[in-house]
Amino acid sequence: MKRILILIIFMFFLSGCGKEREEVNILNWSSYIPDAVIRDFEREYGIKVNYNTYSSNEECLAKLQAAKSGTYDLVFPSDYLVELLIEKEMIQPLVKSKLQNIGNLNTNYLNLEFDPGNIYTLPFLAASVVIIYDKEFVKEPITSYNDLLNTDYVNNIVLLDDQRIIIGMALLALGYDMNDTSEEHLEEATAWLHELKPNIKAFDSDAPKTFMITKETKIGVIWNAEAALAMNEVPALEVVYPEEGFNISVDNFAIPVNAKNLDNAYKFIDYILRPDIMQKIIEEYPYKNLNIKTQELLSPTYLNNIASNIPDSYFNRGIFVKNIGAGILAYDKAWVSIK
Amino acid sequence: MNKTLKFILLAPVIIYALILILFPILYILVLSFQTSDNYGGIIYAFTIYNYIRIFDPIYLKVFLVSGIFGFFVTLACLIIAYPFSIFVSEKKPHIQKLLITLVLIPFLTNSLIRTYGWIVLLRKEGIINTLLSNLSIIDNPLSFMYNNLGIFIGLTYTLLPFMILPIYNSVSKIDKKVIEAAQDLGAKPLSIFFKIIVPSTYSGIFNGCIMTFIPAIGMFFIVDLLGGGKIMLIGNLIKNQFLVSRNWPFGSALAIFLIVVTLVLVKVYKKLGGKMDDLGGF
Repeated sequence: MKRILILIIFMFFLSGCGKEREEVNILNWSSYIPDAVIRDFEREYGIKVNYNTYSSNEECLAKLQAAKSGTYDLVFPSDYLVELLIEKEMIQPLVKSKLQNIGNLNTNYLNLEFDPGNIYTLPFLAASVVIIYDKEFVKEPITSYNDLLNTDYVNNIVLLDDQRIIIGMALLALGYDMNDTSEEHLEEATAWLHELKPNIKAFDSDAPKTFMITKETKIGVIWNAEAALAMNEVPALEVVYPEEGFNISVDNFAIPVNAKNLDNAYKFIDYILRPDIMQKIIEEYPYKNLNIKTQELLSPTYLNNIASNIPDSYFNRGIFVKNIGAGILAYDKAWVSIK
Repeated sequence: MNKTLKFILLAPVIIYALILILFPILYILVLSFQTSDNYGGIIYAFTIYNYIRIFDPIYLKVFLVSGIFGFFVTLACLIIAYPFSIFVSEKKPHIQKLLITLVLIPFLTNSLIRTYGWIVLLRKEGIINTLLSNLSIIDNPLSFMYNNLGIFIGLTYTLLPFMILPIYNSVSKIDKKVIEAAQDLGAKPLSIFFKIIVPSTYSGIFNGCIMTFIPAIGMFFIVDLLGGGKIMLIGNLIKNQFLVSRNWPFGSALAIFLIVVTLVLVKVYKKLGGKMDDLGGF
């Protein structure tokens, strides 16, 4: 008994020691920053990184709301979540003077509609949803979402498991806005997806590239980086930015209100903005790089592939997911009916 | 033992049950009567709208599909578990212990990881398909997953131990002398099975069925991974309300509804003459 007591007291001491050490609590997307980059930061700055992950903006919001205020020092919300977090006063304005490397950011991706003037956030990476297909299997080139309805493609398509993006895709295919909430249009979109359903093999957001690499599916509507990685493995794959438009997103650095380790959060942002560090991230997860100095360091494989290095002119055609308030109820119903 | 001492000894269990089981359920119950602000927040205004919404045909379809999956998975588990339990109970005690331990061993690995194991086995270029095509048994790969079959295989595999344990428990309690007596009186094997063995294991069968059926409709990750995210069971629907649709009150209402369904099933069991003690455990 005595021994156990001593052990418990000892453990309290140990946890006490931990408190005094410098740390930073980060909440980020899963598979977004390589582990090595985080370990290097810990070594270089002597700051312990407590790293938590999420796999959707909704999960990020749920985790922020469920945790005590001040639990996280840095989050990486996408565009529409940024808008919401600003509205709900859950993130604080950034002190730009604390970031020496801020000048490395591509100005085309600053001052975007969800945070005019970049008061609360700075962009980390950009992404888009693309169509990818196997040229050996698909005889006529795909240019539009409506090409996916071809009955030759039965059980051969993988889609992101994301209701806003996939219902949005159906709305785009029908010539409507991606953020449309009109019930009539949503009904048409639901019908469009029911027509597509026999061709769908799976919905997957975590690793849809695997479906393309293992040739489980021949066509995918997936994230650009996933497409780029699959293209590196399977040369017969071709990427398309559909003519009706496509979803884009920008993930951002944001500091929650009441963050306890403010300085460390800034140090981490500044570290990520370093050209060599961003290079390591982009090489592992080939999303759209927004760091102009990193651009010079990247390999031709990355730079010459429009799936990874999205041209600015393409990006400008993209559409952000927007907050739709109670409209989400209709999307939810449509999604349940499709599945 | 005097009452105070008894209470002190029981206190940890009572506190555990209160904090980790009762309070969360009460919280969910309260949540289920509130309104969502559509952004994951909750507006504290009493409403029964969430319960009315459950009966929307679109959501009822989810319940129906879940019920069908649950039924067939439970049936498959029962068909596999019953003969196995009888087989085990006829072995020597130390062999019985060994076999039951083997049944429990999968629990040492997280079920999510075991599900990924099934993906490696079942996919188009997976181990089973490669083996079959190398042996020239098949020309084109078979579709074992990203369809209903995949979900069925995954759920049946994962939940089988939950069926075996209670059934084994009640089968091993059958007094061998009763069976011998029946044999002496000239009963045939089949009528021994249906008139003696099966009736005396009703509680085990029912317990196993509940322990299989309820998780079967709730295991969202197996349905997503092996079914390719194309099918939605109640578990997926509840998970989506919390993580995607940002509607915690509706998710809570669905969860409470599921608890009520479970309680009704237990009530039915009692009505049919089952004893609560037999459901207790093993």
